[in-house]
Amino acid sequence: MLEMVNAFASGFTQVFGWTAFSLMLLGILIGFAVGILPGLGGPSALALMLPFIVKMSPVEAFSFLLGMSAVTNTTGDITSILIGVPGEPSTAATIVDGHPMAKKGEAGRALGAALTSSLVGAIFGAFTLALAIPIIRPIVITFGSPEFFMLAILGLTFVASLSGEGFLKGVLAGGMGLFLSTVGLCQMSGIQRFTFGQIFLWDGIGLVPITIGFFAIPEIIDLAVQGSSIAGERVGKLGGVMEGVKDTFRHWWLVIRCSAIGTFCSIIPGLGAATTQWLSYAHAVQSSPDRERFGKGAVEGVLGPGAANNSTLGGSLITTIAFGVPASVMMAILLGAFIIHGIVPGPDMLVPESRGGHLGLTYSFVWINVISNLVTVVFCFLFLKQLVKVTYIRGSLLIPFIVLLIYLGAFAEKNAFEDIYLVMLFGALGWVLVKVDWPRPPLILGLVLGPLAENRLFLSTDNYGMAWLGRPAVLVILVLTVIGGLYPVLKAFKEKEKKLAAAPSSPQPESGGGVRFDWPAAFSLFIVLAFGLALWESRNFDLRAGLFPWVIGIPVFILGLVQLFKELLGKEKRKSEDHLAHEGPVVSQALANKRTVRISVWIFGYFLLIWLLGFSLGGVLCVFLQLKFGSREKWLLSIILTFIAWAVVYGVFDRILHVPFPVGRLLAWLNLA
Amino acid sequence: MFRKLFSFAMIALGVLSFAGSVQAAPASFFEGKTVRIIVGLSAGGGYDMWARAIGRHLGKNIPGRPAVIVDNMPGAGSMIAANHVYKVAKPDGLTIGHISGGIILNQILGRPGAEFDARKFEYIGAPYQDDLVVFVAKASGVTSMEKWFAAKNPLKFGGEAPGATFSDNVPRILRVALGLPIKPLSGYKGTAEVKMAVESGEVDGNCLSWESGKATWRKQLDTGDIIPLLQGVAKPVPEIPNVPLAVSFAKTEEARKLIQVGIHEPSVYARPFFVAPGTPKDRVQTLRDAFEATLRDKEFQADLQKARLNPKPVTGEALANVIQGLFDLDPAMKAKLKDVLYK
Repeated sequence: MLEMVNAFASGFTQVFGWTAFSLMLLGILIGFAVGILPGLGGPSALALMLPFIVKMSPVEAFSFLLGMSAVTNTTGDITSILIGVPGEPSTAATIVDGHPMAKKGEAGRALGAALTSSLVGAIFGAFTLALAIPIIRPIVITFGSPEFFMLAILGLTFVASLSGEGFLKGVLAGGMGLFLSTVGLCQMSGIQRFTFGQIFLWDGIGLVPITIGFFAIPEIIDLAVQGSSIAGERVGKLGGVMEGVKDTFRHWWLVIRCSAIGTFCSIIPGLGAATTQWLSYAHAVQSSPDRERFGKGAVEGVLGPGAANNSTLGGSLITTIAFGVPASVMMAILLGAFIIHGIVPGPDMLVPESRGGHLGLTYSFVWINVISNLVTVVFCFLFLKQLVKVTYIRGSLLIPFIVLLIYLGAFAEKNAFEDIYLVMLFGALGWVLVKVDWPRPPLILGLVLGPLAENRLFLSTDNYGMAWLGRPAVLVILVLTVIGGLYPVLKAFKEKEKKLAAAPSSPQPESGGGVRFDWPAAFSLFIVLAFGLALWESRNFDLRAGLFPWVIGIPVFILGLVQLFKELLGKEKRKSEDHLAHEGPVVSQALANKRTVRISVWIFGYFLLIWLLGFSLGGVLCVFLQLKFGSREKWLLSIILTFIAWAVVYGVFDRILHVPFPVGRLLAWLNLA
Repeated sequence: MFRKLFSFAMIALGVLSFAGSVQAAPASFFEGKTVRIIVGLSAGGGYDMWARAIGRHLGKNIPGRPAVIVDNMPGAGSMIAANHVYKVAKPDGLTIGHISGGIILNQILGRPGAEFDARKFEYIGAPYQDDLVVFVAKASGVTSMEKWFAAKNPLKFGGEAPGATFSDNVPRILRVALGLPIKPLSGYKGTAEVKMAVESGEVDGNCLSWESGKATWRKQLDTGDIIPLLQGVAKPVPEIPNVPLAVSFAKTEEARKLIQVGIHEPSVYARPFFVAPGTPKDRVQTLRDAFEATLRDKEFQADLQKARLNPKPVTGEALANVIQGLFDLDPAMKAKLKDVLYK
C-alpha cells in the first residue's frame, strides 16, 4: 500500500522534471492546434510525431504524447461548437446542441460548459485509472466475448434516444450503420463483403472520413447558403462563459454519469471516444425531462459528450497499460511508443519500480492527463474571447480553409486518397439526411458498434456454444438492455398519451387520401432499393459471412418499406422549415438553391484540382480561385490567405511532416513530377 | 520553325540532364535525395517499429547519406502498400516497401487483391525472423504433447481472420499436418486481444513468435501458467531447447512439406524490405549493403537493446530465393495449402 502511495507521488514528481514538463507543454500546444483544426485528427498527429519521440526518455515521451492526446478532445469541442464542423471525429456529438447554441449567440455559454465538463471528465477518468490500477487486471479478465457482445447490444439501444422525434427513422439509420460496418473483409470467413473489388474497402469504411463528411459537409453548405458569419446575431457580451461553468455544476450528476460512461465503456477493446460521446449524449437526452429541447441548443447536450470524450482517455489507458490491447487508434500509437522504450504493457506496469515494474510511470500518466487538461482549460478560458471571434468572420473566408483541411485530414489519416471519395460520398448522404430530416447519430453508433457485435457474437458461440447466454454478467447486462431499450419507448408512449389527452381531437395531418411522392419519400425509396440490392449481392455469402448482414438487412428492408408507405400516404409529418437553417437570416428558397449548387461545385472542384494537381498546387490554387472569383474578395486579401494556405499545406505537411502526398494525375500524365 | 526550336530545346535539355547525371557518380546517386520507407501497416505496430528503427540509421549507411523517412500506408493487411510499390513507385531505389510477407503466400495461392508479382520485387533484406512457438494455457488441462494428442476436446486457438496472421495459419497447418485436436477461431482484432483471451481462459492457446510471447508472458512462463508446447522452427530456439519441434511429429512427406511451406518459410519472408521491379541492379546492391551495415550498426543495436529486441537478419538474396521457391511449388501442394489455410 505504502509502495503505491510512493509510486503515486513519484509519478507526480517525474512529470515535473523540467524537460518532461516542457515537452508536455509542447505536446499540449500541438494537440491544441490539431484539436482545433477540423479534419486533422489526434491519431494522425500522433503518428506524425512518432519520429520525434525516439530520443526521449519514457516519461518525457509519454508527457509529450499523452499531453498531446489529452487535449485534442477539449479543443476539438471548441471547433464543433463554434463552426459546427467536428474538430475531432470524437467531438461530433458536441455539435448537435453546441452549434445551435453558437448560432443563437450563446457560444460563450456552450464553450464554458464544454471546457468545464471536459476538465471534470478528464479528472474523473484519470483518477478512475489511478484507483483501478490494483484491481484492474482481475476485473477485466472476468469479461469475455459474451459480455463484450452484450455491451455492444446495450450500446445499440441508445439509438432510441438518438433518434429525436422519428423513432423509425432512427432505427433505420442505426440499421444502415450496422450494415455499413459489414463492408470489408469478413473476419469470420475471410471473404469480401460489398467491396466492389476495391481493396481500400477491405478494412471497412473508416470512421474518420464518415464523421468528417457527415457533419462537416452539410455545415459548410449551410454556411455558404446563409452567406453570412456563423453567429447569426452578435451578442454584446460573451454569451455567458460563467453561465456555462455554472451549468456544469447545475447538472453535476449528469456530468459525473457521462464521465463514468466514457471511462468504463472505453475499457472495452474497440470502443473509444467516437462511441462514448454518442452514448453519453443519448444518456443526456434520455435523462432529461424535456427532450424536445435537444438538437436546438440544450446545454446538457454539450455537457454530456464534453465530459465523456475526455474521460475516455483514462479508460482507454486501462486496457492499453494492463493488457497491451489498444482501445483506440490513438492508444495503438502510444503502444508503439511503449515498445520503442522497451516497456511491455501488462502486469509489470502495475508493479512498483523497486520490484522491477513501472508503476511510477503508470501513475505519471494519471498526472499528465490531469495537468495537461488543467493547462488547456485555463489557456482556453484566457483566449475564449479571441476564439469566439471566429464565429463573426465572414463565412466566405472560412470555407476555403475548412474544405482544404477536411480533405487534408481525410487523406493524412491513412495516407489513402480513396478516403477523400468517402468524405464526398458521406458528405452528400449527410446533407440529404439533414434535408429529409433523418437523424445522423444512430448511423455512426451502428457503424462503430457493428464489428464489435458481430465478432463477439461469433466468438461467443464458437467458444462457449449456447452456454454463454447463461453467464451471470451476460444476464445482468441483458436486464439492463431490456430496461434501457424499453424505458424510452414507454416514456415516449406516455408522453404521446398525455398530449392526446390534452388535445383530444387533434386532427390527423390531412393527406386527402392521395399518394404523396416528394423528396423524403424518394429518399425512403432509395433506402429500400439500396438494401434490396445489398441483400441481393449477399445471396452468395456463406452462413458465417452472411448471418450478420441478413439479420440486420432483412428487418431494415421491411422497416424501410413501412417508412416508404408512411411517406407515400402522407402519414409522416413534414418539418415546415429547414432543420439547419432555423437560425440566422432567412434566405429565399431560390437563392438557397443557387448557393447550394454553387458550394457543391466548389467542394467538388477542390477534389478535382487536388486530384489533378496535387494538394500543394491544386488545393491551394482552388483556395485562391474560390476567394477571388467565387466570393470576389479583394486581391490582397485573397493572395495573403492563399499564401497562408500554401504555407500550411506545403510548408508544414509536405516539408516538415513529410506527408506523402500523391502526385497530381495531370502532372503524372505530363511527366512533370 | 517552332517544331525545330522545340526539338532543339529538347536536345539541349537532354544533354544538360545527361551532363548532370555524369557529374553525379553512381555511388552518390543518393546524395541529397530522400529515401522513403512505406510501411503497409499502421503506426505503432511491430512492422512500423522495425521500419522506423531501421529508417533512423539506414541513411548514414548509404553512400551520399540521403534523408530517410518512414510513412505508413495501412490497408488490406499491407496489400495496398505492396501494390503501391509495384505499380506507382518509381523504380529508382528511393521508395522502399515494408509489408507483411504473409500476403505473398496469399498471392501464390490465388487470393484476390494482389496486383503485384512478388518474384519481381528487388529484395533488400529482412531484419528479423519470427521463431514461431505454440503457447498453451495450463488451465486448458493440456500440459504436454502426449496429453494434447490424446485430448478429447480440441484446443481453441484465437486468431484474426483465415489467412491473416501466424495466429491463424499455424494452428490450421498443425491440425492437418500433425492431426492435433485444434479448433481455430477467428474474430479477434490483433494479437493483443488474442493474448488477453488466453489469459481470461476464453481460448486455450495462441501461436506467435517466441520474442512476443516471452515479452508479454514472462511471469506466466516462469510460473508455468502458460507453457510453450511446440516450436514451429527448423532449429530450436536456444532458450527453450527442450520444447519439441513441430516437424519432429510429422509422419509423412506431405506433413513435413506443409510445415515447411506453411510455418518455417513464412517466418523467413515475414518482414521483407524491397524496392520496385526494374530498379537498377547497382542501386539494389547499394541498398542491400547499406541494409546489412545498418543491422550491424552500433547505434542501431543500442536502439534495439532499449526496445529489448534482437535482429535475426535475412539477406536480400535469401529472400528472393525463398520466394522463388514458393512459386515453384507443385500445384497439388498449392491446392492443399489453400484448403488448409482458408477453409
